[in-house]
Amino acid sequence: MVKSYDIVVVGGGPGGYVAALHAAELGKKTALIEADFLGGTCLNRGCIPSKTYLKHSEVIEQIEKAKDWGIDTGDLSFSFSKMKKRKDDVIQRLRGGIAFLLKQGEIDVYNGYGSVLPGGVVKVKTSDGEETVKAAKVIVATGSTPAVPPIEGLDSVQFDTSDTIFDIPEIPKSVIIIGGGVIGVEFATIFASLKAQVSIVEAADQIIPTEDAEASEFLTKMLKKKGINIHTGAKVQRVQETEGVKTVICEDAKGKELSLQADTLLVSTGRRPNLSAVIELNLEQNGPFIKVNEKMETTQDHVYAVGDVIGGWQLAHAASAEGIVAANNAAGEMDVIDYKVMPRCIYTLPEIASVGLSEEEAKKQGIDVRVEKFDFAGSGKALSAGEPEGFTKIIYEAKYGEIIGVVMAGSHVTEMISEASAFMYLEGTIDEAAKMIHPHPSLSETFYEAAVNAVNKLKTQKAIQSVV
Amino acid sequence: MAKEIFMPKLSSTMAVGTLLQWLKEEGETVEIGEPLFEIMTDKINIEVEAYDEGVLLKKYFDVDAEVPVNQIIGYIGEEGEKVPDRSPGIAGEEPPAEEQIEEVISERQETPVLVSNIQEGEKPRATPAARQMARSNKLELVFIKGSGPNGRVHKKDVLSHLEATASASKATPLARKIALAEQVDLSSVTGSGANGKIVKADVVTANSSKQAPSAATSIPAAQRRKMTGMRKVIADRMAQSAYTAPHVTLTTEVEMSKVKELRLALLPVIEKQTGFRLSFTDILVKAVGAALARHPQVNVSIDGDEIIQHSQVHIGLAVAVQDGLMVPVIKDVLNKGLAELTSDAKEIGKRARENKLLPDQMNGSTFTISNLGMYAVDAFTPIINQPESAILGVGRIQDKPVAINGALEIRPMMTLSLSFDHRAMDGAPAAAFLTELKQILESPYELLV
Repeated sequence: MVKSYDIVVVGGGPGGYVAALHAAELGKKTALIEADFLGGTCLNRGCIPSKTYLKHSEVIEQIEKAKDWGIDTGDLSFSFSKMKKRKDDVIQRLRGGIAFLLKQGEIDVYNGYGSVLPGGVVKVKTSDGEETVKAAKVIVATGSTPAVPPIEGLDSVQFDTSDTIFDIPEIPKSVIIIGGGVIGVEFATIFASLKAQVSIVEAADQIIPTEDAEASEFLTKMLKKKGINIHTGAKVQRVQETEGVKTVICEDAKGKELSLQADTLLVSTGRRPNLSAVIELNLEQNGPFIKVNEKMETTQDHVYAVGDVIGGWQLAHAASAEGIVAANNAAGEMDVIDYKVMPRCIYTLPEIASVGLSEEEAKKQGIDVRVEKFDFAGSGKALSAGEPEGFTKIIYEAKYGEIIGVVMAGSHVTEMISEASAFMYLEGTIDEAAKMIHPHPSLSETFYEAAVNAVNKLKTQKAIQSVV
Repeated sequence: MAKEIFMPKLSSTMAVGTLLQWLKEEGETVEIGEPLFEIMTDKINIEVEAYDEGVLLKKYFDVDAEVPVNQIIGYIGEEGEKVPDRSPGIAGEEPPAEEQIEEVISERQETPVLVSNIQEGEKPRATPAARQMARSNKLELVFIKGSGPNGRVHKKDVLSHLEATASASKATPLARKIALAEQVDLSSVTGSGANGKIVKADVVTANSSKQAPSAATSIPAAQRRKMTGMRKVIADRMAQSAYTAPHVTLTTEVEMSKVKELRLALLPVIEKQTGFRLSFTDILVKAVGAALARHPQVNVSIDGDEIIQHSQVHIGLAVAVQDGLMVPVIKDVLNKGLAELTSDAKEIGKRARENKLLPDQMNGSTFTISNLGMYAVDAFTPIINQPESAILGVGRIQDKPVAINGALEIRPMMTLSLSFDHRAMDGAPAAAFLTELKQILESPYELLV
């Protein structure tokens, strides 16, 4: 007998499993189809394994720094297999957590490739054959895969993507990373701390091109300090491999040919949506992605889509937020997505975190925008921690002091950004931020200090205006 | 045991309160802090909240009844509890015999509180802590219900008042700022945030719908709203005056060139001394004061069948404020020079517009000036501000052709309109006063003598 569900979710990543859990909470009979492991890219090949490795990097850096402080641990040695084991343990544990939650929500989990057919039919290809389920509503959360650009010679070269790089057998001696986005710079940090010679090749004129220029400049400086070679404005012409040595030939910003060599080549040039599950539906697309409205509805009735497959932010927490909205709408509770407060975190050492609009975006919207920056060099906590590099930057609107964006760079900022998010979400202004008591000493004081300076500047300015 | 509801004493000068409306019916349940009834005093109108929870057992007074302070006006208790059929009188006192109650009430009704009864400078009772807290939160103590003896306001009363106003409309700080700047009434905005919290988008939407009236095709329906607060006070007082005092209005034209000269001469002097600019109204106050001193029969009030001859001249200035009219008072005009009158007039005018008048600044006037000269108004028939017996209406100053010694000349002319209560005085003394005033204004340097 064909089982039927109120809501079937295709894809078990942070968009899909969160949508399934929420649908179950709303009392809907729910099924989740996952072809691989629960947790999706985020848990298995993305956020979580990279953060595990980055913790290793942080510890290595701390130990090296400690030498200058009079704490000598002798020579460092790494066991890559133990590092990988720890990463796998963390992943296992979290996968178990998701499976437990799904079970608790009485959600049926199908292990197999789901294909959505017209009329609310979903086929699941499992290892034992094929199953068919009926769905009143379908939420497509099939995610994305690393996109490999058409570079000459790439098909005859052994290269890695973020899907494979976590399980390479040993620490590489040298790595070339094509693509200086979020994924690229995080891997650069990991391998540099493991003493590999790292080069980044980025086509845009700055690394992390979607982020604040000042933050990018700051990160460039910090990565170069770690000995990472950064080539921005560089276009890859072709790649080749001879006896395990990979050569990347590119044209640098000045049009000069540049040849880089390494034993490992990582391609991190973006991700493409996984559309095979919905090929039968003829969904309208938005570029390569599935087109949705703010209710996460696709152009097909009763079919919703969330996460990387619809493009946009392509962040785990964005996918989860979209999943909740889709589940609400699929369950008959009107909900729309609000992207105003979307934090973005880069877990390099030091970190970059931002939320809201950038200064340029705000200006484009015609907002009377002001910027206030406070350097970590003025923070007692940063200095005592030996991490005096970084800044907190508040982008605000002059009339009411509305906080419209915040950029932070430095250690621990990925945790600190949530204070800024809370202010923005609850519509606190710089006046409240400049009044709220912050613990001393703490890095979060930099947010407070920037707000105080902003308030004082506005006051002086208003005083001048009233005199004139 | 059933708890008494009594007419609160909201200020030390308050003797009676008028019941504007009951917000609960007999038999309804009442929570502590829930508005129970609305009253009007000589200064404000305010919703009074329940001190106790339970069922509203009894209402002793109907709307529009004037009730002495601390008079028991109802009971809150448990359903079915027995309460007296008639108000037992003043709260906290032994319940008097029934005949006495009637006496008490009728006696109080017969002696309406005269403005002159109010002791000058007296403020609502409050503890220093409450006073300071009210000041730092820019609250008027008269608006806060005191829980202490004799209605003394304690710090906790100020706190609960603050909480009450804060919870009246939940809004984000940003939404509040925008609402303040764009003058959007938050209580009329529906919040879309968590638990109905008003967020920026709600205020922006409310503001844009306010600015863009509905499509031209739909004619908005006439709206009814209850006259409350200041509007009701003005309505009652104007009707009272118009229906009790037989008004007669005299008009005269005054040539203002000398006043203009005087003003121009004194403007820099007074501005230097006080920081304020001397206005025609300020000079009028001075001139009216001088004229009243010479014609005291205009500076009177009627009290029952007696005429009170005032010994001092306190001049009220009619000031248009948001949604109404206030008459702040300049005290003791005869003993003040133009500089002091100017700064007094500016001070009370500002306070009136900001709704920050002190009780003392609202009471005790013996004569009122209403200046509409900033509009295209030549003359009008002002209504007397009782218990005064006369009021001066001031029109605009306009260049007009006048015959001077048989020749036409252009002179700045202004019309004065004096309304007087014919019960208190007759036409001749009123006309004599107005003539005196005209002469003073046409040769104002005599004010200096």
